[in-house]
Amino acid sequence: MSGLAWGAFYGLAAGLVIAVAALIGVWGERKVSARIQMRIGPQELGPFGLLQTLADTVKLVLKEDITPRAADVRIFRIAPLIVFAPIAMSLAVIPYAAGFAPLDTSVGVLFFMAVPAISVIGVLLAGWASRNTYATIGGLRAAAQMISYELPRTLSVLPFVLLAGSMRPLDIMDEWRWWWIPLTLIAFVVYFISSVAEVNRGPFDLPEAESELVAGYFADYSGIRWAIFMMAEYGGLVAASLFGAAFFFGGYLGLPGALGVIVLIAKATLIATAMMWVKWTYPRMRPDQLMGTAWKVLTPMALVQLVIVGAVIPWL
Amino acid sequence: MAVNSHNNTDTRNHEIGAPAQAPHVVPVTVNVTDDFPGGVAGFFARWQSLLTGLGITGRKALGPATTLRYPHEKVALSPRWRGALRLRGILGLDDIPIIEDTPPEYNALIDGLYRADRLPPCVGNCPANVDARGQGYYLGEGKPAEAYELVRDRNILPGVLGRICHHPCETACRRNYYDEPIAIRPLHRHAYEEYVKVASERLEPLERTRNRRIAIIGSGPSGLAAAYDLMKLGYSVSVYEKEKKPGGALYSGVPSYRLPREVLHDEIDNLVTLGMEFKLGVEVGKDVPIDYLLGEYDAVLIAVGLQESRIIPVPGHTAEGVTGALPFLRDANWKGDPGVQGKRVLVIGGGNVAVDVARCALRTGATEVRLACLEGEEEMPCHPWEIEEALDEGVIAMCSLGPEEVLVDDEGKVRGMRMRECISVFDASGRFAPQFGDEYTEVAVDMVVFSVGQGPVLADVVAGSDLTLTERGLLPVDGTLFTTAQEGVFASGEVVTGPGSAIASIATGHEAATSIHRYLEGLDLAEGRVARPVPVYDKYQVAHIDGVEANRRRVTMPMAKPEERATDFRHIELGITHLEALNEAMRCLRCQSEVCVGCTFCARTCPDYAIEVERVDDPGERRVTHYELDLSKCCFCGLCAPQCPTNALTHTGQYELSFFHRDLTIFDRHEMLRDGAGTRATGRDGVHEAVREVPR
Repeated sequence: MSGLAWGAFYGLAAGLVIAVAALIGVWGERKVSARIQMRIGPQELGPFGLLQTLADTVKLVLKEDITPRAADVRIFRIAPLIVFAPIAMSLAVIPYAAGFAPLDTSVGVLFFMAVPAISVIGVLLAGWASRNTYATIGGLRAAAQMISYELPRTLSVLPFVLLAGSMRPLDIMDEWRWWWIPLTLIAFVVYFISSVAEVNRGPFDLPEAESELVAGYFADYSGIRWAIFMMAEYGGLVAASLFGAAFFFGGYLGLPGALGVIVLIAKATLIATAMMWVKWTYPRMRPDQLMGTAWKVLTPMALVQLVIVGAVIPWL
Repeated sequence: MAVNSHNNTDTRNHEIGAPAQAPHVVPVTVNVTDDFPGGVAGFFARWQSLLTGLGITGRKALGPATTLRYPHEKVALSPRWRGALRLRGILGLDDIPIIEDTPPEYNALIDGLYRADRLPPCVGNCPANVDARGQGYYLGEGKPAEAYELVRDRNILPGVLGRICHHPCETACRRNYYDEPIAIRPLHRHAYEEYVKVASERLEPLERTRNRRIAIIGSGPSGLAAAYDLMKLGYSVSVYEKEKKPGGALYSGVPSYRLPREVLHDEIDNLVTLGMEFKLGVEVGKDVPIDYLLGEYDAVLIAVGLQESRIIPVPGHTAEGVTGALPFLRDANWKGDPGVQGKRVLVIGGGNVAVDVARCALRTGATEVRLACLEGEEEMPCHPWEIEEALDEGVIAMCSLGPEEVLVDDEGKVRGMRMRECISVFDASGRFAPQFGDEYTEVAVDMVVFSVGQGPVLADVVAGSDLTLTERGLLPVDGTLFTTAQEGVFASGEVVTGPGSAIASIATGHEAATSIHRYLEGLDLAEGRVARPVPVYDKYQVAHIDGVEANRRRVTMPMAKPEERATDFRHIELGITHLEALNEAMRCLRCQSEVCVGCTFCARTCPDYAIEVERVDDPGERRVTHYELDLSKCCFCGLCAPQCPTNALTHTGQYELSFFHRDLTIFDRHEMLRDGAGTRATGRDGVHEAVREVPR
């Protein structure tokens, strides 16, 4: 019973963290895109327009939650949660501070890679349940894309498992040395690109391509359910940034307590900004380019990285 | 070949009437993945390209924003807002640029204006680039003498050319598009007529600043132009002329009903006052050998023109009563009698000279004048107005006929002409290749005048020098530098270009003068020299002039009545009055001057009636008194700016700021003139009030 209460409490906390992260993330995205387009961006509400997203949230919550008549109502309603929940869960295994991860498990790395993959099912369900051709195509595209990029993404974090000899994130943090950064540079590039693809962001936003598919798998969603999809996207962005900051850049760097958390968040912010930068720089890819990149570029690169790390290990 | 003929007709119609075809569109397909090499190099090239993209957006992100910071800048900016339209200049506040430079640099000036899109079409289309816009400006300002002198710089005999020029300027005139072209040629004549009144005050001998002497053989338009240019540069110039009076073809060839001899001689007298030295009645080659000139002068220019009429060697061409155009015109001009009294005359040829011959024959008493040419009615090489006037006077045109045989009677005199039907004159590639049919026509005539081209007579001129002629009697000349095989000897005019217009001859004279100047200065003839740009101007469709106000129409040149003028050599163009000339000069739109002249075409174009223009047209007081753009009506369609003939009205491109302050919905002419500096879309410096005071 206490386990269930703990789970509920944790779920609430993760939801809150993601909500705040999404608030700041959307604001950041609008600022970054504006600066890249030589605009100023939100500036009227609050300092630097910081409250703009909050106002948008109020608007979203107050909007009517429309369910299409032809939709498969139950699946349609539950799909956003199926997308959101695994991503919230993945935040649990990230080592936030020295000796602290909300879910300290010996298969943390595997957990982080495997659990968010469940959200693919939610995306597929959303696309299917909408009874809308655009949404269905978007869902199918998303499934193909997210499953394809699972492989290079998982391969890209394997070097750390090899180097630390453990899949427990806190162990890896303890073992972390600064020269892992140059050693795993290729892995970071692969991780970065496949993470962008995992969260369906540009230039890998084929599942939600506005100009081709209206909005893809969430074309028929509105109000709070649409907001949940968006929060899942930003949650995925936050999770990928935090995980990348922890593994590839040493996370809290052995600093104690809150200081370590701040360092981790700062690094994650940089990675998230870079992801936005990439999104607002490149045009959307074609499906064949998308698949070609995953199988013919990123996977071989990740394997090359594995070979390099494997060759180094006997010398340690 | 009937098909061929049909094709010709089609091409012609297209050239005259139809608008230009849509530009050829080249489809461009971009396949991004193909832009990279294969293999490892491609792998790295792709990554490099991705990083370059990030670099570009990164730099943009760090630069200043182009949008406004609300609400602070919004308030500070709006009174300074410039709007999407502005005027570069306004008549009355800004001056019209006058195209003026010394002869060797003139081409560079024209070329620069052309590249900057500031060359008026009339100037660009004139072979000698006479500043017709400047002439219109000076005349409109009540300064005819200045106008005359401006024109004389590039067109040595404005009074003469004002009567005989074939005016390519008027063909290119942008006013063709709106209603009717400016009467530039009659304005030359008017400027001359006004100049005559003050000539004695304004003519002062040009100063001789260089110790070099130049001989010019031939006093036709080309020789005079070269002589004048060289005199302005400070050389002393002697012009050799074999006839007793100067003028060349203008004196011996052009009939006096088109060009009164007093005008020609008066203008040449003015040149003498300026310091030009004439050696009349001296024929180079006979009286003076060219060797003598080469020894006496530092440079020699051969500008003798064409003296020999070509005669087609058909059977019977040696019979009594067959003659060429040039001897005929000489007789008509000098003796007043080419021997056609009471005879029936047939002129062979369809060019301007043939029409001159036919009209002279009418005037000297021929009972019937026919004109036979190979070309069809629409393709005659003469200017349409020439043949039209000739037909009015009673000349009978017989088109599409080729000469076959001159019929001779027992006494060896001409009794008629046999001609064969001509189906087509030019082949598919546009070369002269007449095709004849099987129908023959015979006309009974007493005299046949061949006017089918002219050739130079140079054997005497070049005798004794190193110059050699080709088998056809032509002098080899460099077509751009106007040099000959012998150093120090140059050639210009129709000797070089073949039969052409007077103004084209004048243009070659200017070029030859530049070459001579460079030669005497020891400069390389070609180095750094700007060739005259050859702009291509739209052919205009005839504008619809129904409902066009009378004061916008072109002045009509009063003509002598055809039945009266055909009897003697009276002048047929009677001339326009001073007031008509002033009005005509004010019709000039001052194209490409970037100064608004209040033509009102923008206001007429505006679909929303947002523009109001008013101007005052008093001579010397011309100005735009009122220019208003009402932004509460303007829909920013942008139709007005491309319509502007002067390029004064322009888009500023500042559409982002296309909203305005409450108290600034109407832009007056001062506001329209304000430039966009400091009001770029950022408006940043608009925040600082000290930067620039807003004229209101």
